Amino acid sequence: MGLNLLFLGVLLLPWASALLVALFPKPLFSISLSAVFSIAALYFCTTAPVDFKIAYPWFNLGGQSLNASFWANASAQLVLGLVALVSFCVQLFSKSYLKDDHSIGRYYVYLHLFVGSMTLLLLTDSILIFYGAWELVGACSYLLISFWHQKTAAIQAAKKAFLINRLGDIALLFGLIALGLHFNTWQFSAMHGIAPALIGIAIIAGGMAKSAQFPLMSWLPDAMEGPTPASALIHAATMVAAGVFVGVRVFDITGPETHLFMGIIGAISFLAGAVFAIFQNDIKKTLAYSTISQLGLMWMGMGSDASLFHLLTHGIFKAGLFLAAGAVIHTVHSQSLNDMGGLRKKAPIAALAYLIFGAGLMGLPLTGGFYSKENIAGYLYTSGHVELLVVLALGMVLTSFYISRQFYLIFMGPLKEGSPKKDFSLETPIRLLIIASFFIWISVNPLEMHENTLISIYHIPSFWLYITAATWVLGIAGAYVTRNWIPAGNYQFLPRFWPSLFRFIRWKSRSAQVFETQFIDRFVNGIAALQVIVAHLSAWFDRHIVDGILVGGGAGLSASTGRILSRWQSAKVQSYWAMIIVTFALFLLYALFIK
Amino acid sequence: MTNLPLLSLLIGLPLLGALVLGLGQLKEQARSIAIGLSTLQLVLLVYIYSAFDTTSGLFQFNETHNWFSISLGSMGQFMSKYTLGVDGLSISLLLLTGLITWVALWNSTDIKEKIGGYYALVLLLNASIMGCFMAKDLFLFYVFFEFMLLPMYFLIGIWGGPRRNYASLKFFIYTLVGSLLILIVMLGMGVAYVDPYETALLNGLIRPEQGFNVEALKTVQQLIQSQELATSSLVHSFDMQALADYNNCQITSILHISSGWQLAGMSAREWGFWLLFIGFAIKLPMVPLHTWLPDAHVEAPTPISVLLAGVLLKIGAYGWLRITIPFFQAEAIESANILAGLGALSIVYGAYNALAMTDLKKLVAYSSVSHMGFVLIGIAAFTAEGWQGAIFQTISHGVLSALLFLMVGVLYSRTGNREIDSYSGLVTLMPRFTVISGIAIFASLGLPGFSGFIGEFFSLMGAFTSSFVHPGIAVFGALGLLLGAGYLLWTFQKIYLGKPYLKNADWSLPDLTKLELLSLFGLGIISILLGVYPGLLFELSDKFVTGLLK
Repeated sequence: MGLNLLFLGVLLLPWASALLVALFPKPLFSISLSAVFSIAALYFCTTAPVDFKIAYPWFNLGGQSLNASFWANASAQLVLGLVALVSFCVQLFSKSYLKDDHSIGRYYVYLHLFVGSMTLLLLTDSILIFYGAWELVGACSYLLISFWHQKTAAIQAAKKAFLINRLGDIALLFGLIALGLHFNTWQFSAMHGIAPALIGIAIIAGGMAKSAQFPLMSWLPDAMEGPTPASALIHAATMVAAGVFVGVRVFDITGPETHLFMGIIGAISFLAGAVFAIFQNDIKKTLAYSTISQLGLMWMGMGSDASLFHLLTHGIFKAGLFLAAGAVIHTVHSQSLNDMGGLRKKAPIAALAYLIFGAGLMGLPLTGGFYSKENIAGYLYTSGHVELLVVLALGMVLTSFYISRQFYLIFMGPLKEGSPKKDFSLETPIRLLIIASFFIWISVNPLEMHENTLISIYHIPSFWLYITAATWVLGIAGAYVTRNWIPAGNYQFLPRFWPSLFRFIRWKSRSAQVFETQFIDRFVNGIAALQVIVAHLSAWFDRHIVDGILVGGGAGLSASTGRILSRWQSAKVQSYWAMIIVTFALFLLYALFIK
Repeated sequence: MTNLPLLSLLIGLPLLGALVLGLGQLKEQARSIAIGLSTLQLVLLVYIYSAFDTTSGLFQFNETHNWFSISLGSMGQFMSKYTLGVDGLSISLLLLTGLITWVALWNSTDIKEKIGGYYALVLLLNASIMGCFMAKDLFLFYVFFEFMLLPMYFLIGIWGGPRRNYASLKFFIYTLVGSLLILIVMLGMGVAYVDPYETALLNGLIRPEQGFNVEALKTVQQLIQSQELATSSLVHSFDMQALADYNNCQITSILHISSGWQLAGMSAREWGFWLLFIGFAIKLPMVPLHTWLPDAHVEAPTPISVLLAGVLLKIGAYGWLRITIPFFQAEAIESANILAGLGALSIVYGAYNALAMTDLKKLVAYSSVSHMGFVLIGIAAFTAEGWQGAIFQTISHGVLSALLFLMVGVLYSRTGNREIDSYSGLVTLMPRFTVISGIAIFASLGLPGFSGFIGEFFSLMGAFTSSFVHPGIAVFGALGLLLGAGYLLWTFQKIYLGKPYLKNADWSLPDLTKLELLSLFGLGIISILLGVYPGLLFELSDKFVTGLLK
């Protein structure tokens, strides 16, 4: 009973908090409510059995009753723990990050709403509620991106994010309904067997928009217009991972085609995101592309436990990177890498955090990222997708390269400008995340993981470890060698040495980016513009054709009928006489001859 | 209290008010009298709601009085009764009507001319709508249905905007054409069908105090079918229950399935179905019969727009579920694909048109067309989910469109301008209004947690899972979700977000008054309540839907 009550508390607390914070918009109040939620959620995750189920009666429809059913299985509990941890850190961090903003209350309300929707998404067993929560997190994302509503770019980005997500939602909607019909149940936990490939692919396609996977990725970098702590929570750690989570939810009930589809989309995004991340000079956009890339890596895990595991470790180190980036932005009042450099002495905690979380991103030993990346490699190896292993190795080189490059550019070298301030609440959440990302939570052996009940481990022969080590060396060395040649945002270092290669690389990266930002973005914009054109055409059609024919035609018809008939009413006695005679004659004819 | 003719009171109260206000020269008190009567009506409705038995699929609070009967000589007798009743379909619509009228009356403060006449007409409108939703006799229904036109015509024609004459006449003619189609079918069916109960009474098969049971009904129907009763001893009526039972159809009539009568390749029953369908489709309104709606909305004053979208359009959906579908179920199922296709067309076409509008009120009007398309697609499904979704969407749209039109009214009453381009960044000028408009807009685009989501979800799901409808139609209709999000967010962004800008610097835009705040907020709360606990409505209509499905 106590557990059920606790569960209800976890489920409802964020919503109640949103309401309370809307009434009393005080940051400290909001943070305490968030702390209560996080403690309750973490406590629930540690005490609840791995297959916790509960259902509340909701409503009847056509003789069958639909319950609000919940299913906190291992994966849901793990991600819930992540949400609890990250959301608390973000709440704490936001207090000083947004302390000059007079509408900080509204911001905290949005955060609570988001946590409530995300919790619902993770814990529900019902397809209907899952879909509902899926849309709700998208709406919260809209609200948070457009938080600074006077920035035109922010509101454009918010709208774009919502619409692209809606596109995915439609695929998910029909995928889920078809899934429910196929298994004849509306509960995930009651589904057994393998659904047809088309259903699985529709569901995964729904996840594509949410996780900003190829080709629906362009909204995520734009979404960085929102406040940085919010980006850390929803556009790095949790909401975008919902697309992975849906893959995890349906992993056991979908077939190899669906898994392969997910893996291929993931592989494309993994490489594309990493390439784009190299050529950004905006600290947040680098991290956004890195998120796309890492989400792609999770997708390469195809929804297996390997995906889930990387979701967790990535959630912690990417949230940490975002918060550290937030601290850096707060320090130099700029997001451009051109304004940064040598900050290691002025912002040591941020530098340390960047180092540790960056190591997690690269998957260096002693970090959680190491195990999760190895686990994905293990999954790919055991399921026989060697070609994806090659992609993985290639992507790891790129990942090591862009994150070490960023570290050099921000923290090493000579100090450029800025006078960093010490701020307790900027650093505490980062410290918390550093602790969480530490390897000891996962295993005592830095190179091998323990078997456990929550997550399955996929093993890979030791040759992979050499390859991994090589990717680190290549990436870090590459970044180190080129560190002085790369003034950020300006790639003029190569033409001095090897002009043709420079042109080639620039052309390659540009064309990739052109494809992404120009072609796909244009394509999306083009479709949107097309819609507007169609809209205007149809409005014209409506006004002139539909209305014209029905109203104009109807009126014209009655008018001309009236005109013809009115001629008969000529008011001349002679014509009336004539008509009477003709009528009478016709009548006589009829009576005499026809009848 | 149960001895009172409650349902007649629901009609009588506003009728009385209309009479008093229309005849008397009450200027100052007109508003309070109207609101008082409307409040009383709402209280009555709440009582009826609380006493309503959801486990019964039958009509409740029945009232029956003989009205008139005509002898047709060799063809028997014709009779019509004044019968009222409430069932699972009408109870929620009655509540909606009471509520929306009440809100509209409260928000009529901008009406400054001919106040007495205005309130009298609104009450008259309310009375006839109430009658429509409660009539169990088709003739009675038709009388109320036709009567509705009159107050609406004057409300738009007298208190409307600059093109009010055009708009009110267009509204009048469109609706009149619709009701003519209904009239044709009604007369045809009255002749073709026999009222078994009255016939049994007349022929002495049962005694009045005995009541009517299934056995007796079967016996009478057998007698009708075998033509053992002389045609002069048959009683025809417009009782909807009798008309909905195909076994009451005389074998000699053209509406009988064995009749070979055809016109333009369609049998009489098919004609009957399509005429009834189109008659109500005009009211809904369905594309391409919708063009009266934007004009009427743009010209109508705010509270009348609220009533028009919030309640009047619902009669189209009600007519289908109460009359068209039960009377011609087989024909309807045969055309399910066409119906769903028309629904999907309305959704997408309405949304496209909304996207192109620069006038905020027109945009909302076209969004009504789009949202009511979900009702049609749900009805076409012939599944419990689809029908429940359609009924839910009907009520939900009633609440949400009222909310949206009030929102437009807030701006219009302050500036007299409805162009979307004239405003920007209202969030800094009117923060409360922005919050509530945001709620209205997110609720309208079908965000979960609001009522719109449940209605759209179950309508689409019903169509997608239906065995009569091609699933591709549902997928096509779902495009409306995307387009809906498009035009609503675009509007929200243009008007409310961004840098503050007003076309005319002299405009003063004070934030919401208490009255506006309460009305908007109250409707928003209702939408959330229904969205979180949809059982409130599903429970009411459950027995109706399962009964109709059989």
